[in-house]
Parts: sequence; structure tokens; C-alpha cells
Amino acid sequence: MFRKLVNVVEVLAAVGAVVAVVLLFANEPGSTTGSTPASPGAALFAANCASCHGADGEGGVGPQLADGAVVKQFPSVDDQITFVRDGSGSMPAFGGQLSPAQIRQVVEYTRTL
Amino acid sequence: MTHSVAAPAGTEGTAARRLVLVLLAGSAVAVALGVYGRAHDPTHEQPYTLFFSSTIQLKVWFATAALALAVLQVLLGLRLYDKITVPRRTPSWLGDAHRLVGTLAFAVTLPVAYQCLWALGFQSTDTRVLVHSLLGCFFYGIFTVKVLAVRVRGLPGPTLPVAGGVVFVTLVGVWLTSALWFFTSRPPRLPAY
Repeated sequence: MFRKLVNVVEVLAAVGAVVAVVLLFANEPGSTTGSTPASPGAALFAANCASCHGADGEGGVGPQLADGAVVKQFPSVDDQITFVRDGSGSMPAFGGQLSPAQIRQVVEYTRTL
Repeated sequence: MTHSVAAPAGTEGTAARRLVLVLLAGSAVAVALGVYGRAHDPTHEQPYTLFFSSTIQLKVWFATAALALAVLQVLLGLRLYDKITVPRRTPSWLGDAHRLVGTLAFAVTLPVAYQCLWALGFQSTDTRVLVHSLLGCFFYGIFTVKVLAVRVRGLPGPTLPVAGGVVFVTLVGVWLTSALWFFTSRPPRLPAY
């Protein structure tokens, strides 16, 4: 009985793995729409910022960045770069994690959200 | 009681060839995941959160559950190989329990891996992220090797325990470069769950 249960669970896990692979390819936007690759800034944003500021910069634990909010807060790009690099309050400093070029890329990306 | 019996002529060669094929299959899986992650355009989506505050928390706790299950599976495996003697008598269901726990650990990693590949892809923005991406791909490759080592007969004796050990160590590495990093380095106001 227990062995049958284990067999069923194994089959379900295998099916789950197959479904995951199928979904990865079936939902691939590039396969149907030919969308352009994500910019380096977008990838950096997803990896470092989205968990607090939301996947689209809509805000979450961290403040909203999208719809011009970050441009309003930091009219100067250089001021925003300094802020991201050095951090302040609950905003962590990314100067130790990202290169100056990467910080500029992610900052410029946030200003397009 | 065990006997050391000389392998018949050709048996070692056959076992080696089978092992190479199994390793090639695992390598193919790992490379395919890496290629997909590199070629795929990250969507930056958070497709599911369940009862967590966001997908990253879901991934962290699912990965932690997978690690806990993997620890349990290693302990069960050690008992199967008589490396530990608790419980003193081996229950008849121990092997099935070992399989079940391992299967559940694998199943728990699937939504994590899917979101990683789908939303983030293979990244190399810093050392931690690069190592995590590499280990994530390697994990499913060596997991494939381990599953095949169970199913394919005639492989060299140590293949299965070695593959199982490498799977476990790799999962630990994946967890250290993701969940532990999250627990220790997340911004102060980011919820833990």
C-alpha cells in the first residue's frame, strides 16, 4: 500500500516536471511575438530591486518607482546613482554588490518604468 | 555476508559505458537548463505567491523545505547503507520512505526552479548570483544522474550513493546562495515570509 502511494507520488512529480518544462516553452514570449531581449538594467532590477519595489516598480516594501515616481524623487540621475550606491535608511547600499556601470544601468531602467 | 567476486570480462567496460551515458544524460539536462535560462527573455513576473507576501518568500521557504526533506532523505539513505544504526532494526518501509521523501524534495523545488528560469533566467550579475545559477542547473543534471542510477542496472557500485551525495551537496549550495542570503541580507523591511 505504502509502495503504491510512493509510486503515485513519483509519477505525479514526474508529470509536474514535464508540465513545468512544457510551460517554460509554451509561454515563451519570444517564440510567438519576437519580443526584444530584456535590457541589462531590467535583469539587474529583477535580481536586486523587484523584491522590495515590485516586479514593475509599482512599490511594495519599498516605495513606488514607476510612473515617474523615481524621477520626481531624484530629478538628477547622478543623485539617484549616489543613493543606490550608498543606500540610506532601509535602502541597502548596492555599491558593494554592483559595479558603477551596473548601478547606472539599473538606475536608468527604473526611470523608464 | 558479502563476497568479493571478480567481475566477468567485459562487465567493467559495460558498466563504465553505462555510467558515461548516464553522466551525459545528466550533463544534457544541466546544459539545456542553462541554455534556456540564457536564451529566454526574463519576464520579471511573480506568477504565484500562495500565502506568502511575494514569490521570493515562497521560493525561499520552498527551498528550505526541500533542504529539510533532503537532510531527512540523507539520514534514511545512511540507514539503508547501515552507516547509522538508528533505528536498530531496519523497517521494511525504509526504502520506500527514502524514495518518497526524495520525490517530495524534488517536487518542492519545481515551482522554485520554474520561477527562477521563467522570471529571472540564468544571470551573472555578481558572484553569488552566478554561482546560484550554475548550481541550480547542475542540481537538475546531477538529480537526473541519481534517478538514472536507481533505474539503470549494471552501473559501478558507488554510483548511486555518490550521486545522491552530490545531489545533496548541490542543493545545500543552491540554498546557501539563495535562501540563506535572503535570511541574512534582505532589506530590514522585507518580510521573511
